[in-house]
Amino acid sequence: MTPTLLGRWQTRILLLTLVGFPITLPFTIGAIGPGASPIFGLTLLYVILFGLLWDVVYDFLQQFRWDRDWPGALQLLAGMGEAVFLGAIAKSIPLPGLLTEDLSLRWFAIHYTCVWLGVYVASQSLTRILFPRWRFRGGKWLG
Amino acid sequence: MTQKQKIRLNWEDPVTGQRREPLLSPPISLGRLFGAMPDTLDDRRVSRVVLDNDDRVSRYHALIDFQQNNWVIFDRNTGNGTFVNGIRRDYWVLTSGDVLQIGDRAITVTFTLESSPNSAIPFHPETGLPDPHAVLTPSPHSFPPVEFRQSEFVSPEFLQQSGIFDPQTDRFDYAAIGAGLGSYIWVDFLRIFGVRSQQIVALGTQPQPYAKYKQLCLNSQIPLHERLRSNSDSCPDNIWGWPSYALREAWHDLGRGKLANALRYLWQVFAEPTFAETYTPRAGNVFASIDREAARIGWSQMYRYGSVRAIRKTQDGKYAIAYSRGKGNYGYIVAKYLHLATGYPAIRFLPHLQIYREQTRDLTLVVNAYEPHDHIYQHLGFQGGTVLIQGRGIVASRIIQRLFEVRQQTGKPVKIVHLMRSPLQGGRQFGRSRRPVKHHWEFQPFNWPKACWGGDLREILERANPQTRLNLLKSWGGTTTADRRDWQQLTELGLRQGWYDIQFGTVQKVERVGPKLQVVIPSHALEVDFIIDATGLDAEVKASPLLEDLVTRYQLPLLENGRLAVSNEFELVEMRSTVPGESPGRMYAAGTITLGGPYAAVDSFLGLQYAALRSIDALTVAQSPQLHYLNGFSSLQQWYNWAIGRSP
Repeated sequence: MTPTLLGRWQTRILLLTLVGFPITLPFTIGAIGPGASPIFGLTLLYVILFGLLWDVVYDFLQQFRWDRDWPGALQLLAGMGEAVFLGAIAKSIPLPGLLTEDLSLRWFAIHYTCVWLGVYVASQSLTRILFPRWRFRGGKWLG
Repeated sequence: MTQKQKIRLNWEDPVTGQRREPLLSPPISLGRLFGAMPDTLDDRRVSRVVLDNDDRVSRYHALIDFQQNNWVIFDRNTGNGTFVNGIRRDYWVLTSGDVLQIGDRAITVTFTLESSPNSAIPFHPETGLPDPHAVLTPSPHSFPPVEFRQSEFVSPEFLQQSGIFDPQTDRFDYAAIGAGLGSYIWVDFLRIFGVRSQQIVALGTQPQPYAKYKQLCLNSQIPLHERLRSNSDSCPDNIWGWPSYALREAWHDLGRGKLANALRYLWQVFAEPTFAETYTPRAGNVFASIDREAARIGWSQMYRYGSVRAIRKTQDGKYAIAYSRGKGNYGYIVAKYLHLATGYPAIRFLPHLQIYREQTRDLTLVVNAYEPHDHIYQHLGFQGGTVLIQGRGIVASRIIQRLFEVRQQTGKPVKIVHLMRSPLQGGRQFGRSRRPVKHHWEFQPFNWPKACWGGDLREILERANPQTRLNLLKSWGGTTTADRRDWQQLTELGLRQGWYDIQFGTVQKVERVGPKLQVVIPSHALEVDFIIDATGLDAEVKASPLLEDLVTRYQLPLLENGRLAVSNEFELVEMRSTVPGESPGRMYAAGTITLGGPYAAVDSFLGLQYAALRSIDALTVAQSPQLHYLNGFSSLQQWYNWAIGRSP
């Protein structure tokens, strides 16, 4: 799938919500990780929010590529960049609802990786099956 | 260059049943007795055509001549007369496709030029294979009758009285014309969207939907184990693109213990085209998957052999299709919704090569990459030789690879001269990006930038006006090849070792000198053994008699590039077959005949799927019979059916 900006936004919201939150649930209730905490759900919200801005950057960078595509490898690099950015921000500036001292970078990385993998796999498989027009519309599934 | 006008007459001998189709220069006399007709007329030799064994033909019956740029026919005051399209005429200006009736014989006339700069090899209308001897006539068998041909709306009574139309077996909701890959994909979607196979007919000349495509692949030296230039998730057998061909091949190889291969395919689709070479599926795997899906949707029950001659609207808001069943049998089919996917009507030939072929009648030393030409590789394998290649697309790449293989396997001195029109320094530019160039070849994974299939370039093109669309296509398209490492190594090895040579210039003349060919370019002359034209296929509407007839009859608008103008839903809007109080019949098109419209990649697997999706979604909105919108639930259900091989 070759995303457009609108498609990026719609896909990000869809997949992080429908796939990201179920993956976050075991972390939130403490089945995985350091103990029950709402912090994982909150970081996911920030991934969505900051991501909407990141998507503008990616869309701009895409214009420099002849094929105007965005392969999986670039998604991975972008995902790592976003994680480092969010981790750094969360550790230095108190984001609303996200207390700096509560955030274990190790568990943040584990959670983030699980969500990223889940979203990537879903975007490559289930999304195509549930939304057969999605890949022709640059990732838009609404309207 | 002088162009000599010629005319082809085509009729069936009433006694022997044999077809006659002479190609004649004017003047031409027609009559029962050879001796009764003049041998010269105004110092020109007369082509005398004898129509014997028929008392209604006069001894010297009629004369056809080319006068003031028109073909005209004169009746020689005969008792039984000369009829043009059913009407008796003493004198008449002919149109290509007219049917003359002289006695028992119905003679179709077709105009041609002896040497035309845009000549091409047509695909034979009965077999669908490239055939340099095939004659394209709008009506080679005087079928359909003039009444059908000349009417804009055919009446149901006409069809009923024709004796070759059975409302029980010849009436359908949906008809796909072509029965190639475009038709197959459209029919696949219809089935998945809920239409039963009994309501669909696919009319074409070859039972396997990929038959013509496969033949062109084999001719252009892509055997079944080689890879097509197609994306991993462009799956003509699967509208979801999942599992993709890379995934399937990885799974298959994993099962045979080839872990490294499996990982490589997965890495390719993850990192292509930036960090890895683009994955492309093997031709054989694609065909096998199409066979499986064809069996699942009941393709063989929907397929019907037929070479479509003409299509007309009917007075009751449908379409009538006149088709030949072969061996002199004909039939009509009526359908409410039509899909035209007739593919490339002809193979394009560079003008100087076509002139050479027509003048020398030599079809072995100068060939097109898309026609069978294995004899060249066999000859080179025995004694070596030099091949001149024109064109720098993917087909040229593959031919060079094949020539290299002959060189390697036989050790014979095989040399390649690659003749390019002009040097290429930088690639095309669009916006902030530029296409890469190496050794005067332009590189791109597929024939369009990837975003043309579903990214922002698709949206830009759909929004643009017709003129802008053509300009955009010019910036994104053109001749490119895939950035394959093995091909680049070949190019570099060949340049270094001297068996691959790039030269620039346009050909002025090709001549036969002994067993060799002399190719004259402005700076010098080259001596070669063979010439392979790898410049492509022709897709102009006028190269297809069926489409040309449709365009003429209904005055359909053509784009500047000679293709059909379609809506964003791929509908030929002017072809709506309206009738009061009922939803109109609709006609859609797909494939290369729609290039220049809302979508660039029309002649790719995924592009055909896009066109099918757009047209069927539009038909669903119009509440066409049995169609149901494919939503998340039904899509999942249908995918499950696909996965377990159950009929939709």
